[in-house]
Amino acid sequence: MTRDFYLLLPLVIVGAGAILLMLRAAFGKLTLDAAAPVSMCVFALAFIAQVFTGTTGHYTPYGSVFSGMLVVTDFTRVASLIILACGFFTSMSSQSYFKDNDFGLVEYYSLIAFSACGMLLLAMSQELITAFISLEIMSLSIYVLVGFNRRNVAGSEAVLKYLMLGAFTGAFFTMGTALIYGALQSTKFVAIGNYISTQGLFHSPALVGGAFFIIVAFLFKVAAFPFHAWVVDVYDGASMPVTGFMATALKTAIFAIFANFLMINPALKSSWVQYLFYIAILTMFGGNLIAIGQKTLKRMLAASGIVHTGYLLIALVAVSADHFSGNVILFYLAAYAVSTLGIFAALSYLTGKGEKRVAFEDFKGLAKSRPYSAAAITIFLLSMAGIPPTAGFMGKFYIIVSAINAGQVTLAVLGIVSSILSMWYYLRLIINMYFHEAQDSFETEKSLLGPACTLILAVCVFAISFYPIAI
Amino acid sequence: MFEHILSSMIFLPIVAGLLLLLFPATKSGARAVGLVVSVAVLLLGLKLYTGFNGAGGMEFVERQTWVQSLGINYILGVDGISLFVLMAGAVLIPLIFLVFSTKPKGYYANLLIVEGAMAGAVCAGDLILFYIFWEVMLLPIFFMIGLYGGQGKVAATLKITIYTIAGSLLMLAAILYLGVTYHNQFGVWSFDMTKIAALQLHGTAALLAFIGFMLAFAIKIPLFPFHTWLPDAYTEAPSAATFILSAIMAKIGVYAVIRFVIPVFGIEFTRYALLLAYLGVIGMMYCGIAAIAQKDFKRMLAFSSASHMGIIALGIFCMNIQALTGSLYQIVAHATSTGALFLFAGILEERSGTRKIDDLGGIASQAPIFAFFFAIAMLASVGLPGTNGFIGEFLIILGAIKFNVIIGVLAGTGLIIGVCYMLWMFQRVFFEKAKDSTAKFRDLSSAEVVAFLPIVILIIVMGIYPQPFLKKIEPAAKMQISSISQQVQVADTIVLEKGHKPEQK
Repeated sequence: MTRDFYLLLPLVIVGAGAILLMLRAAFGKLTLDAAAPVSMCVFALAFIAQVFTGTTGHYTPYGSVFSGMLVVTDFTRVASLIILACGFFTSMSSQSYFKDNDFGLVEYYSLIAFSACGMLLLAMSQELITAFISLEIMSLSIYVLVGFNRRNVAGSEAVLKYLMLGAFTGAFFTMGTALIYGALQSTKFVAIGNYISTQGLFHSPALVGGAFFIIVAFLFKVAAFPFHAWVVDVYDGASMPVTGFMATALKTAIFAIFANFLMINPALKSSWVQYLFYIAILTMFGGNLIAIGQKTLKRMLAASGIVHTGYLLIALVAVSADHFSGNVILFYLAAYAVSTLGIFAALSYLTGKGEKRVAFEDFKGLAKSRPYSAAAITIFLLSMAGIPPTAGFMGKFYIIVSAINAGQVTLAVLGIVSSILSMWYYLRLIINMYFHEAQDSFETEKSLLGPACTLILAVCVFAISFYPIAI
Repeated sequence: MFEHILSSMIFLPIVAGLLLLLFPATKSGARAVGLVVSVAVLLLGLKLYTGFNGAGGMEFVERQTWVQSLGINYILGVDGISLFVLMAGAVLIPLIFLVFSTKPKGYYANLLIVEGAMAGAVCAGDLILFYIFWEVMLLPIFFMIGLYGGQGKVAATLKITIYTIAGSLLMLAAILYLGVTYHNQFGVWSFDMTKIAALQLHGTAALLAFIGFMLAFAIKIPLFPFHTWLPDAYTEAPSAATFILSAIMAKIGVYAVIRFVIPVFGIEFTRYALLLAYLGVIGMMYCGIAAIAQKDFKRMLAFSSASHMGIIALGIFCMNIQALTGSLYQIVAHATSTGALFLFAGILEERSGTRKIDDLGGIASQAPIFAFFFAIAMLASVGLPGTNGFIGEFLIILGAIKFNVIIGVLAGTGLIIGVCYMLWMFQRVFFEKAKDSTAKFRDLSSAEVVAFLPIVILIIVMGIYPQPFLKKIEPAAKMQISSISQQVQVADTIVLEKGHKPEQK
């Protein structure tokens, strides 16, 4: 029992931090400027706790008490680390963002922490009801965060869209859970795995249907084709740091549970591999086509997020269920998170009052007036495009090696073709920043945390790249 | 430091360049740093050259484990082939810092980074390491063309970047395929070039991987018909970037074919050598004819450079010792002559304010020293006996005739085209009447004379007494050729054994 709580310490810290922030906000004891460092401290503490509460291998907390709801493995630990780091950097860049934008409230940070709680739980779930609850904890906080700027029409549209579709997803997930429970009289992953290995996957139609609904729900949340249409509008409507948070932490959490669910049993995964194969291809190319046409940065980044989902799906197809090691997925998620958070952190302070600089053209000549910010953005973009020696390259490298190794040569080659296509929209911003004359002086409110956050992340891009992993 | 002489040659300029980018510096300060660092690299290079004993194998090897689980290692080394490409860079780059004295800080910083990255690509003995340097060396060029280029710089930048990245990403797929195949055949991961060469590849997959590699290098060289980015990029790029692209980077493409394609894909290479050789000859003639028609001085040189790259590439596709040695020799010869020509073009443009051949004229009477130096570089580029261009082209054509008479004859006659455009251009620019733009053309300063003198001397020495240089190249060339014939023999015996089997039954 003590050990259980010890393993869940990061979750406890974030949860307590969220409640603390909420209470301080309610009594008006905390200024907006001071809330960001508090939130950062909470995430940093949880991060340190997560690093040190180590187990090696597979451990199930609440194995006896709550009948195997959660699991702690190296995979979930690293996923949690990524989520906590995302929370930390989002809080950091939000502080600068709210100097230029006037709708900030202390509750904002509390919501970030709450959604992180949901994500941490989700990554560790080994049971469908727990997964559903954590999914909703996460989603509800994110809905509020997306629509946080009440006076913004685009934000309201985004939140409505996301809420409606998200509600459908939740319903799909519940439906799937119900079907699986009907077939198995259990919602535990272990039980599902045992059932499939003794009876076979296609023994029970309810199980097949249930798995289908659940996977559709996951595919919606990660914005895979054909469930990607909401992403561009929602990301566009949300405020800058929130978009960054959604694009990284949320994706990490969902991919963690997605991988855990698929790896229940080799039969379940292999029955889905061929569909995921096509979904991955369509996601990459669909995302690229959408991204090429965009005029504003946020929409381009949203669409490029779809492309990155495609790469991650390649990794899901390629990893083997027999001896599942999620290193490839996690490395890519970390590399992607660093560069995406970095670029959103930079944009958080560069967009200026009321996010007035949004289009590619608005960043013309940035390199002349703010050379360091432009250099950092360039690093992030090169990492997203997968140019060595950045983290993005190593991430893509591992994914493609594991794809070829799993015999998916077609998928590997198509992944590379897709990254050739993506060069265009990443280069476009670099060209605008460097090769054109400035039309704007890029004045922003003075703030320290946003630029500092960008700098740290730019260093991380290289640091992660040189950190080798074992496949 | 001297155990890590290659690492220092790679990372000294890269680190210096990055520091220059990060910290404020004046133009002259940046130039001084660039000059000091590039001269230091040159000294290291000279030490390397004298210490190189030329037995044919890899020397100065450095080896460090990097990603153990995937067998990616940090391996550096030079042999007779890479030594000359490396030295061409080390000798020529200090020139840029001497000649161009008033450029912005970023210009010098990018030059340093590209110098280091090119050295890295040349010395890398691990495929992944090579790929990383290969990509990194494009980035400074991207920024140099985009930031300091001419009128159509954005379009030219996009064209060269997307073109070359598309090629190199396909090569990445091929590299990874090789790594995975090695893992399947031998049970361990490795991207070490010496080990990958032991792979037995056959079938469609091998062909596709071969195409992946060849495409990347054909774009970089550039081999006809992948040359379309070249005229735009060479013309719009600032002179130093054009210099780097034509004098050194294009050579790395040729070098990479020798180093990475021939040892692994000997069979595919032999099968398609004739086709590739024809592409080389066609490119040589096509770009030569296009050069005649150019009105822009720099664009003409760009086409001329592409035309010469065609014949250098031809030398490797002929697969015999004469042609291969000739190609390697010509790599250095062409680097000195074309490099010097592009630098002269930069000086010409700065002092006359125009690049149109029609607007120039009569420079020889205004600036006799400049005209004299220019003439030597030009004659070397044309391949006049007594200059280093002659030795290389002579050997290549000799080998080409041995390989295939038609190709040899075509290549030999193609050289005449080069004489046409060069001499005609020289007549129009340096003789005839002086125009407004050239009426007050300033001659080379004594500092510039000092800068160019070593190159001119090198051109002549290499043309008159090539033996010491050839001696270092030949053992490595012999090893390459024997590696091809070995692979082909092995493949033949496999086919024969398969053919015999039904009879035995």
